[in-house]
Amino acid sequence: MPAAVTEIIIVISPLFLIGLTAKVKALWAGRKGAPVLQPYYDFFKLLGKGEVISTTTSPVFRIAPSIGIAATFVALMVTPIPIFGSFIHFEGDFVLFAYLLGLAKFLMVLGALDTGSSFEGMGASREVTYSTIVETAFFIVIGSLALLTRHFSFESIFASVNLSSGYSPLVKILLVVSLFIMLLAEGSRVPVDDPTTHLELTMIHEVMVLDYSGPDLAFVQYAASLKMTVIAILIADLFLPSSVPLMVACVLSAAIVALVFVSVGVVESLIARSRISHIPQFLFLMTTLALTSFAVVAFFLFGVIK
Amino acid sequence: MTDFLTGVVLLFAGGLGAIVAGERAKAWVFFGFTAAAQFFILPPVFEILLNGGQLVLPAYFSQPIGTAYLRLDSLAALFASVTSVGALLTSIFSIGYMKIYRGQGLSSYFVFLGMMSASMLLVEVAQNAILFLIVWELMSISSFFLVAFENGNEEVRKAGLYYFIAMQAGVAFLIAAFALASAASGSLDFSSFATVLSKHGSVSILLFVLFFVGFGTKAGVFPMHTWLPRAHPAAPTGVSALMSGVMIKTGIYGILRILLLSGIPDYRLAYGVLIISVITAVFGVMNAVAQNDIKKLLAYSSIENIGIIGMGIGVGMLGLVYNNPLIAMLGFVGALLHVVNHFTFKSVLFYGSGVVYSQTHTRNMDNLGGLGKYLPLTSLMFLIASLAITGLPVFNGFISELAIYLGLARSFSAGSIAMIVAALFGFSALAFIGSMALLCFTKVYGICFLGLPRTKYHVEPNERERTLLVPMAMLTVVIVGIGLLPWITIDLLKNVIMEFVPSLNPDQLVPLTGIFRTISGALAAVIGLVGLFYGLRTFLLRRRKVAEYKTWDCGYQVGSSRLQYTSSSFAQPFLHLVAELVPQKIHVEKQPVLFPEQASLESHTQDLSERFIFRPMIGILNKFLNLFSWIQSGRLQLYIMYGLVFLVVLLIWILGVK
Repeated sequence: MPAAVTEIIIVISPLFLIGLTAKVKALWAGRKGAPVLQPYYDFFKLLGKGEVISTTTSPVFRIAPSIGIAATFVALMVTPIPIFGSFIHFEGDFVLFAYLLGLAKFLMVLGALDTGSSFEGMGASREVTYSTIVETAFFIVIGSLALLTRHFSFESIFASVNLSSGYSPLVKILLVVSLFIMLLAEGSRVPVDDPTTHLELTMIHEVMVLDYSGPDLAFVQYAASLKMTVIAILIADLFLPSSVPLMVACVLSAAIVALVFVSVGVVESLIARSRISHIPQFLFLMTTLALTSFAVVAFFLFGVIK
Repeated sequence: MTDFLTGVVLLFAGGLGAIVAGERAKAWVFFGFTAAAQFFILPPVFEILLNGGQLVLPAYFSQPIGTAYLRLDSLAALFASVTSVGALLTSIFSIGYMKIYRGQGLSSYFVFLGMMSASMLLVEVAQNAILFLIVWELMSISSFFLVAFENGNEEVRKAGLYYFIAMQAGVAFLIAAFALASAASGSLDFSSFATVLSKHGSVSILLFVLFFVGFGTKAGVFPMHTWLPRAHPAAPTGVSALMSGVMIKTGIYGILRILLLSGIPDYRLAYGVLIISVITAVFGVMNAVAQNDIKKLLAYSSIENIGIIGMGIGVGMLGLVYNNPLIAMLGFVGALLHVVNHFTFKSVLFYGSGVVYSQTHTRNMDNLGGLGKYLPLTSLMFLIASLAITGLPVFNGFISELAIYLGLARSFSAGSIAMIVAALFGFSALAFIGSMALLCFTKVYGICFLGLPRTKYHVEPNERERTLLVPMAMLTVVIVGIGLLPWITIDLLKNVIMEFVPSLNPDQLVPLTGIFRTISGALAAVIGLVGLFYGLRTFLLRRRKVAEYKTWDCGYQVGSSRLQYTSSSFAQPFLHLVAELVPQKIHVEKQPVLFPEQASLESHTQDLSERFIFRPMIGILNKFLNLFSWIQSGRLQLYIMYGLVFLVVLLIWILGVK
């Protein structure tokens, strides 16, 4: 029963978390800002609206947001919730997780290309280019966790990650930073992308969904925030100490997820969006961190460092 | 076994039957024979796949072959099932596709198609070195004639010759390997090679390398892959599909057969296979991203998939080396399943590109676009195959890649640091390959089938020719079937796997079946949720206004469909990142005036292996052979004298000087 409640809370929370980030940015800039619940108002307003659909498009355009949101939902079911674990778990479930996000991406890119707009083509092209770096680094992250814990499913990896030996804090910090970079990239946030600039040549994700409106746009935006939430949950999984009472653990992991979103807002307030040509360098940082953590684990395991 | 051979003869006879048939009936006659052959080939093949065992038929030839054994064991049966079905599908596809070639040598097309299909099946059962080489050459030569079918076109002729030379270079390694193996074992029969191959030492390593290079040339392993991107676009599409889906797998079959005879491989070979396969796959997909010719792109993508299959084999070998049957099992399951899977989706993609080509007469993606509206069924099946080849869930590519991922992940718990590093290398490479494949196939599908046509189609494309769609539809059912019910494949692969990993306890397959069942539930959830959300969307929009308007163009009103992103521009940011590995030559021409009216930009991709390995090598070879050019005087008398001198020397050599 508590598991179901947690799951429902998680399903509801992404829009709140996005609102939280926006609020942090506003406060940092000295504005009052929109209410934290603003994304919900937007979401329901969009659900109630009609749509404008480009005459250029084919059915792919219309079904892409539904597939995107469905795939992200199942990715959430694979994600281990702290304490409760995951709905679907099996050996190698992280592959399903990554590839479900890939499925969502594939369809969203096709949706963008379907409009025939060169603008959206540009965004789509960048999205797939950067994902080649992020995806690879993500599997190195998983690799180091699997090496550290000797488990091969998301749930058991994260269940035992906190029981590991003394060097694991260092590894954890490296992995948390790389997952945070992944969150910024996959969530299309500064410095990779800027969600607030709608019509600039520098954008990636927002430009891909320019032609969506109404319920489809609501789906797209919800799926994007859910994807960020899922990655934030992975970060919380890494942090959470194993032997705490249920309630404390729940509150603690919720706080960590919220903190991640606050940090996103802080990062956005502090640094500017990178030049397009510098983004790959930023993303390679994730690869480097993940590789370093793998090396640390391997060195300790084989007694190179004691 | 006689049933199987009857089927092979029927395939061959189909070609001969097509000679005597009328121009319109040729394709149907060939199809009839090929379909009949299925009834003879498939029952014994599936019998062996499901129940194990083998069929043996000794065949008596005169010297030098002697007694040759034809054996249909479970490994051969797996490849034979793919071959036989592939031949059938191409014969169906050819009914519609070859219509425009009536009166242009259709007989030769069907004769060689029959010969190629039959010889591929014989390659899989021939277990005598000389017989194997004969049918292997028969396969290469018949496919050469098919590649060079449109030999009126100079490019096709060149591609055909390139293919022919590559195959001969490859078979030279095989001849050397077989000669060495039979000399060392004293017999031409494959089963006797086991004694030589399984004895660790320099001989077995040399043999394996020779076999790997020889078979790898056929399969398209880096750096011997260069014939694929030339031969595939040149061949008629039905043949490209058969070559890519089936023929290159005979190379994989050869490698697996040698592996089966080697027992537990040397650890250096296992690492070597894994590393070279990763390079093959990464190189293949990177170059695929750069291509604008749809068939060339698919050819490079075949190289990628051969690399993925090779990675599975490498993981399997590592599992054997470190005596971990579970890892070995996962690697071989991944490799063998990917052989079948790649056959299904790559054939659909090639057939689909054939439909596109037959309707638009271009293979250049920069001229295509918006085909989804004209070819809805082709478009749907092409989309499914694209998702499957990218390895995305709900379709079969995901299942085989998952098995390889699992094998690699399990290797993290190994005790050897080398294996752990190799596992991470393969693990991250597979993710990198997958994400590049995503780039590659969003490009193919998005550019060709979505958006607006980039140039005007002079005749509106249509899919009235239904025989072109039937093979795709049949394969799409398999793609979705394996994707949703993956555990069924375990039953089919079980016996082959047990041959590769004899130390495997059959109970160890149960967890994998369990994983596959869970996945199937998760995938059902995906499909259910898609339905739910699409239903919700339809429900929400039922009373709302859904307006149709043109794409938002930021206020710029005079755009044309030429403004759309092209396949070159879509791939540009990525190619910029990997410019050292996929060098592009860009040729820009513009007028140096203030208001230029005409400008042009051309970009060509260069294949690194061709540029840095084969061109220099052929250059050196040319120089060396030029030293002997004086022998070629052009005078007939001299040539006859050479022959006589040779005979005399031979006579002395045989009879002895004393």
